[in-house]
This record gives sequence, C-alpha cells and structure tokens, in this order.
Amino acid sequence: MTGRVIVITSGKGGVGKTTTSANIGTALAKDGYKVVLIDTDLGLRNLDLLLGLENRIVYTIVDVIEERCKLKQALVKDKKNPNLSLLAAAQTRDKTAVNAEQLREICDTLKEENDFVLVDCPAGIEQGFQNAVAGASEAIVVTTPEMSAIRDADRIIGLLESKEEIKSYKLLLNRVRPSLIKSNEMMSVDDVVEILSCPLIGIIPEDTGIITSTNKGEPIVNDENALAGKAYRNVALRILGEEVPFLDLDEPKGFMAKIKNAFAKLKAKV
Amino acid sequence: MSILTDIYNTVAKFFRPQEEQEDASKSVATNRLKLVLMQDRTNLTPKILEQMRGELVELLSRYVEMDKELLELNFEQEGDQVALMLSIPVIRAKDEEEIEAALASRTDGVNEGVNEGVDAGENNTDLNAEIEQSEGEADNNGENAGGINAESNNEEEANQEENADDNSTAESSANNSTSPSKTKKNKKVTPPKEAAETDSAEEAVLENSEV
Repeated sequence: MTGRVIVITSGKGGVGKTTTSANIGTALAKDGYKVVLIDTDLGLRNLDLLLGLENRIVYTIVDVIEERCKLKQALVKDKKNPNLSLLAAAQTRDKTAVNAEQLREICDTLKEENDFVLVDCPAGIEQGFQNAVAGASEAIVVTTPEMSAIRDADRIIGLLESKEEIKSYKLLLNRVRPSLIKSNEMMSVDDVVEILSCPLIGIIPEDTGIITSTNKGEPIVNDENALAGKAYRNVALRILGEEVPFLDLDEPKGFMAKIKNAFAKLKAKV
Repeated sequence: MSILTDIYNTVAKFFRPQEEQEDASKSVATNRLKLVLMQDRTNLTPKILEQMRGELVELLSRYVEMDKELLELNFEQEGDQVALMLSIPVIRAKDEEEIEAALASRTDGVNEGVNEGVDAGENNTDLNAEIEQSEGEADNNGENAGGINAESNNEEEANQEENADDNSTAESSANNSTSPSKTKKNKKVTPPKEAAETDSAEEAVLENSEV
C-alpha cells in the first residue's frame, strides 16, 4: 500500500500543531487505519508527552538516520491502539542533525506500510520546516483566530504553494471561542477563511479539556463527550473524504444566554 | 430621572442582540491584518505605496481636477488575486488646453518611468487608465519615484495621517470601489465622461493584476 503523508504545520508556535497531530493520528487509528506520527521538532519534542509515551522511547529519528537502529525499532506503539505508532524526535540534538532528503526517505519508507504518515512540524520557517515538509504531499495549516497566528499561517501557505510536492493544503482553525466571536472581539471563522483564502478542514473550539488531556497524556479524541474531541474526530473523517458538517459552536449554553436569546428573537419579531 | 435612564439603558443593553454592540475590536484586527498581509504578500512597503500614490496623483492631475485629500489607495483581495484599488473623487475633467499645458510642463527626466502610462492615456481620450504591473516593474517604479516633486512629498505625511485616523471613510470608499471590479474580470473600469463633467465625484479604479 501507499499511504498519505500529511504535514501539520503553522509557522507560529503554540497554536496547537502537536495537539492536532496527536488527536488526528489517534482518531484515524481508532477508525482502523495504520498511522505513524513523526515528531520533527528536534530538541523540543512534545508529541511523546501528549500521547503519554514519554517513558517508552528508546530510539529517535536521529538514531534511525545515523543508523544506530532500524526504522522499525524506533517506532513506539501506542498504549491503547496498536494501529498508532510514534517516531520520536531527538531531544538532545538540534534541527541540523537531519536534512530534508533523509526525512523524505523515512516518509517514503513508512508510507509503504501505513495508511497515514503524519509529520508534526516545528514552529518557524527554517530548516525544521523544510525538513518536515520534504516528504509530505499534503499539509494541514493550523492557526488560531489571532492576528499573529494568521499572519504566520499566511506566510506558511505562501511557502507551501511554492513547493511542488505539496498537492493540497487545508486550514485548521484552532482555539475558537464562540462567545468572543459573538461579541465581535474575535475574528470569526469566515473572516479567517476569507483573509487566508484557504479551504477549511476543521474548526476546533477552545476546550479546557485539552489541558487535562495533556496532563494525562491522553488525546482528547478519546473523550466521547468533549466538544474539541468531537471536532477532531470530524477532521479525521474529512481527511478520509467524508463530508461532515462543521460543528455549530454558536449555540448559547447557559440559562441566562437562553433567556437573552429568546428576548432577542422576540424583539426581532416585534 | 437620570437613575431611571441608567437603569433603562442597562436593561436595554442586556436584551439587545450582541451583534449590534459596537465594541468591535475584531474589525480593527481584521483591517490591520488585511493591510499587513498585503504588504507581506506584495513586498510593497508603506513608503513605496506612498510614492506610488504620489506619482499617480501627479499623473492623473494632468487630466482631471480631483480632491487629493480624499484619494484612497487600497489593496483588496478577491479570491487568489490581489487588486490595487484607487479611488479618486473627481471634481471636474480638464479641457484639452489645460491637459496640453500640463503635459508640456512635465519634467521629462524625472518621470521617465511614468511616461508610458501617460502615453497610453493620451491615446485613450476618455481618461481610461489601466495599469498592468508585474512585481518587478513595481519595484522599478519605486526606484524611479525617488525624484517625485516636493509637493507630493509634503502631501505624504498628511495622507498617512489621514489613512491612519480616518478608517471609516477608507472602508466605505474601498467598498464602493470593490463592486465595479468584481463585475469586470478584465481589470478595467472606465469613469463615464459625462458624470465627470457634472462635477460629481467619480471613481476611477486602477487595478493591478496578480501583484
């Protein structure tokens, strides 16, 4: 089989690339697909933490490249799901330990035996980004509805457009806060999509559950009740080609909000 | 009484749909972001934009009398394309004698880069202006613009302030200038001659294809 290699990138740090990688990977594996996650953030690895695999890592991607182990030996299987495995980044080395050609080779090898290879890209647009993108043919650009993140995403989209290997890229809008959008204090999903003119693959609401799930090393897609988990499961379905409507995040939840909403409707009728 | 008014306002505000409330920091962010992205994407710095604006004012004022204070130069995005929108309130069109006088008085050495545009304008008697620039050419113009006259340099500062402060008018005129361009795929909008003669403010839209 020949799997799909998807790079998850953003330009800006802290917008949720690693969280997105962990969750989409877990969701795809839950759907029965064979998935490998590659952490390319050399020196600042975190994907192992989000998956709760930090104590199981023996070999890293640098060990594979420097031929201290075979590629298969370096793959760490997920605790719950045997379909999911992780190729961890080296924590003691920097981005210069790997080059684009080596990463392309690893991706090419891994996609032979997996349905999906998800590459978690480091922040920035330098060597680390170039490496992460090298083996991929698709990209997910993660951004948040904040100016700095959107500007960096725009830069990344420009760079992705110039890469022949990248056949398609989609936007994932993370940490959306419907209440702020309603009060016109945060850019709406439409605003961001219009500004970046990039097709959307997911809208993830801000969810405090992300913090607790990170604490536990358990991706939030495993929590059936969490809204962010559901949103990530939908992203996975869209990657698989299903047409899933975006979650309606606008529905006011609280009692007071309901009353307020009812009055607003009443007023509109009058 | 004032207490009652206060109470009424508080209660009314509570029940008002939130979209109507006016503290939209989001629109500030959106506008700032759009501008900065256009600069990022085109590599045009604010300084070069001002130079371009100064040169365009100089060029066009040979043909029409316009309200330079209200002139707007903006970038608009339509899908993948970036369009350069120039909105000019025309006071009146100049007659032939005035145009010839203006053309005669132009300084040849300095405005070499602009002359191509002028020639095109001469052929099109209906003040139809079209600018097609590649990015490289835009840069050249920026360099050539080093010698724009003192008058437009003085205006630059005033214009910059105006751009920064007067967001509301900038928005409205930008919106006005968007609509004709969407209907015209071929990047060419002609200001009707008659309208210009009746002293009403007309908009000429110059667009830049694929900056």
